[in-house]
Amino acid sequence: MAKSEPIYDVELIDAHTTFTLREFCERGEVHAEFVIKLVNYGVISPVEEGEVREWCFDLPALARLRKAQRLQRDLDLNVPGLAMSLDLLDDVQSLRREVERLNHQLRQLMGDW
Amino acid sequence: MEFKDYYATLGVSESAAPEEIKKAYRKLARKYHPDVSKEADADEKFKDVGEAYEVLKDPEKRAEYDQLRQYGSQGGQFEPPPGWESAAHFGGGGYTHADARGFSDFFESIFGGGGGQRGGFGFRHQASMRGEDVHARLSLFLEEAFHGCEKQVQFTVHEMDEHGHVRARQKTLKVKIPQGMREGQHIRLKGQGAPGIGGGEAGDLFIEVELAPHPHFTIEGRDIFVTVPISPWEAALGATITVPTVDGRVNVKVPKGSSSGRKLRLKGKGLPGKHPGDEIAVLQIVMPEQHSEKAAELYAKLAEAEPAFNPRSKLGV
Repeated sequence: MAKSEPIYDVELIDAHTTFTLREFCERGEVHAEFVIKLVNYGVISPVEEGEVREWCFDLPALARLRKAQRLQRDLDLNVPGLAMSLDLLDDVQSLRREVERLNHQLRQLMGDW
Repeated sequence: MEFKDYYATLGVSESAAPEEIKKAYRKLARKYHPDVSKEADADEKFKDVGEAYEVLKDPEKRAEYDQLRQYGSQGGQFEPPPGWESAAHFGGGGYTHADARGFSDFFESIFGGGGGQRGGFGFRHQASMRGEDVHARLSLFLEEAFHGCEKQVQFTVHEMDEHGHVRARQKTLKVKIPQGMREGQHIRLKGQGAPGIGGGEAGDLFIEVELAPHPHFTIEGRDIFVTVPISPWEAALGATITVPTVDGRVNVKVPKGSSSGRKLRLKGKGLPGKHPGDEIAVLQIVMPEQHSEKAAELYAKLAEAEPAFNPRSKLGV
């Protein structure tokens, strides 16, 4: 008899899912110094949680860290260059989305469904 | 296997100086970097460019490659000469994303490699290591994201074999996607990433959701937009019309005197969740392709009845 395939439940990641600096470095495979530099240049920001003194980071920050790491490794960028590239890439992405959305609306308005 | 022409990949000649090769690589690496480029095959092209540079930047590897190129580029299938052994030991590291697990069979057949050595970063020096997290993307149709669904997720996990070499393994899992997932939202499957080493915890699998474009609906956050065509008389007199939502049809009241572009908010008909989104119906007045004679007469009467209306007053004409 064929074994039925298990179906995995998933955990939804929200703003409350955070990582300590240690976890963050471990998951990103980077030194803490690199993270501190990125924070100082405003590339990533720790989550602000009232009284908590320890730095915590959310998942979008981890995604940004990984991107920063790839860009640094592959394109030999320094941290100020990384900061600017990431900001520009964010802008490009939101503009691409906006163009896509507007094109979609325009096609509908022109009756081209 | 197919012979790879690394010079053509970088767009340089066989006699190119190291500086020229570096320049060509840098330019192409920027162009095809998967975090920068939106070309569908950017990932593949970036890997090819990295592999070509890995060989051509190193005088020893380049010399060996040139030698094989004479032998192997005579068309057809390529196999390294019998007894071929590279003197260049491939250990990874350096300027490129030098990690043999990303290189082609062609590369491995010449320079060996057999997988990159893992480690080299801060926490990785410990005897017991946590497994790598895996980050994957999953494309959903709007209907799937709206209602939730079961989906097969395919991803690659890098595992270490008994010789300490990293091997890529394809994994497939069936996962339950909860309802109301938004574009860019993440889910996690704990422990489904790479296995830990020396008793270390397994990594996690993170999945980022993306929504495939829908022919009628567009999404902004939790809100769903739809353009709804109405007739001129529905716009003028008001009407109850049927509007599609992802969850089925609903009846909506169009207020009389509605212009094109008027937005009607259907509360709670957007993506479900703790704070469900709304559906926004954007009205668009459309004309029939042909009018009957009677309708044309009525329009003429309408024009007589509304002589003061100037739809172009904002243009100053």
